[in-house]
Amino acid sequence: MFGALARRVTAPRQAAKAVPADPDRLNDLLLLVATTADREAFNALFAFFAPRIKGYLMRIGTSADLAEDLAQEALLKVWRKAKLFDPAKASAATWIFTIARNLRIDAARRAAKPVLDAEDPAFTPESEPRADEVMERQSRDEKIRAAFKALPAAQYEVVRLHFIEDAPHSEIAERLNLPLGTVKSRLRLAFEKIRKDLGDSVE
Amino acid sequence: MTVLSDIRHHPKDLTLAAYAAGQLDEARSVVIAAHLRLCAKCRLAVADFEAVGGACLETVEPAAMSDSALDSFWLRAGKQEAAPAPASILAANDFALDAAHPLARYLKEGVDAIAWKNVAPGLAQHVIPADGYRPGVLRLLKISPGVRIPKHTHGDEELTLILRGSYTDEVGEFRHGDLADLDEDVLHAPLATGDQPCICLIATSAPLRFRSIVGRIVQPFIGL
Ligand SMILES: [Zn+2]
Repeated sequence: MFGALARRVTAPRQAAKAVPADPDRLNDLLLLVATTADREAFNALFAFFAPRIKGYLMRIGTSADLAEDLAQEALLKVWRKAKLFDPAKASAATWIFTIARNLRIDAARRAAKPVLDAEDPAFTPESEPRADEVMERQSRDEKIRAAFKALPAAQYEVVRLHFIEDAPHSEIAERLNLPLGTVKSRLRLAFEKIRKDLGDSVE
Repeated sequence: MTVLSDIRHHPKDLTLAAYAAGQLDEARSVVIAAHLRLCAKCRLAVADFEAVGGACLETVEPAAMSDSALDSFWLRAGKQEAAPAPASILAANDFALDAAHPLARYLKEGVDAIAWKNVAPGLAQHVIPADGYRPGVLRLLKISPGVRIPKHTHGDEELTLILRGSYTDEVGEFRHGDLADLDEDVLHAPLATGDQPCICLIATSAPLRFRSIVGRIVQPFIGL
């Protein structure tokens, strides 16, 4: 627990405004935005996620200006598509991660070659989720978050690099000065451990 | 949406995690997305990996937004009309299940309209560069029933999805929806089974390497 806290470094300027990373609170805020278009709730989401999305994009080499712009775009999607947020499928942080990830890929695509805007798979309106499905997904995400934070430091590091740095396995290996096989086996072990913590059988 | 319950061959965990992390090249993303449409098990796995991504996002060191960020946000948001809810993407472009949505961008007319190029008796292919994001190559192979591809290995980064028909090889039987995510050292000689051609969608991020494999596949036929 303290390890996880120590790892979370907060920029001083945002610290005052930032919402603590309380997943239930983030979910509640997003549901408020979804159901009542609550601007105060949205401002709290913005204060938490915009700087993190900007940080995520800057870490992978996006310029500060473009990263700020894309973070704005991501939050704009959150605001406009909040009604489509399906709590049975993901928690707030997970949903917003997929939006930021897809924006990053789209931005890279636009830079490589103009293509028609594909429908963003983060928005898939479907039938009303059942309450138990919502509970199940939220608690599953919560368990995954806890399992991730409880990973041994070496595994935690490769998983984190894999998801938030734009680093394929080979690049992680290079950066950590590890053999490629070690990176892959650490990832594999980490995912097995997360799965075990979820109570799923490991194949 | 059609969900195939009897899918027996799935992508590896590391492949699904890389997909969820947004690390796969365009070609492999398309193949994984096409498999996900048919496979509830892997959709759950991807949702789990995305939750890991969400947890990771929370740990990112924040980069302060400009002082006026929130004001400019509301300025921008105020001008935006609420987007109309899109029709379910799961229903969109579902022309003949074979060309599932993720492929639609590359195969506008569907699998039946492919202009196949014969490369050997009983073997035809269609190559699509997938260079939108992290270039890769999508390759469709059509193997006539009863035709066996000579023994070969695959690169670590190649994925094969069965769109139609089936084949058997040293690993097992692969049918519609099955995905081969083979280790580099697996040597196999697939034999198209059943009475319709086996159509496979193959993604590779290393086109040169693949060309040499096709060369080796084709060679024995030319020798006939
Ligand atoms: Zn699967």
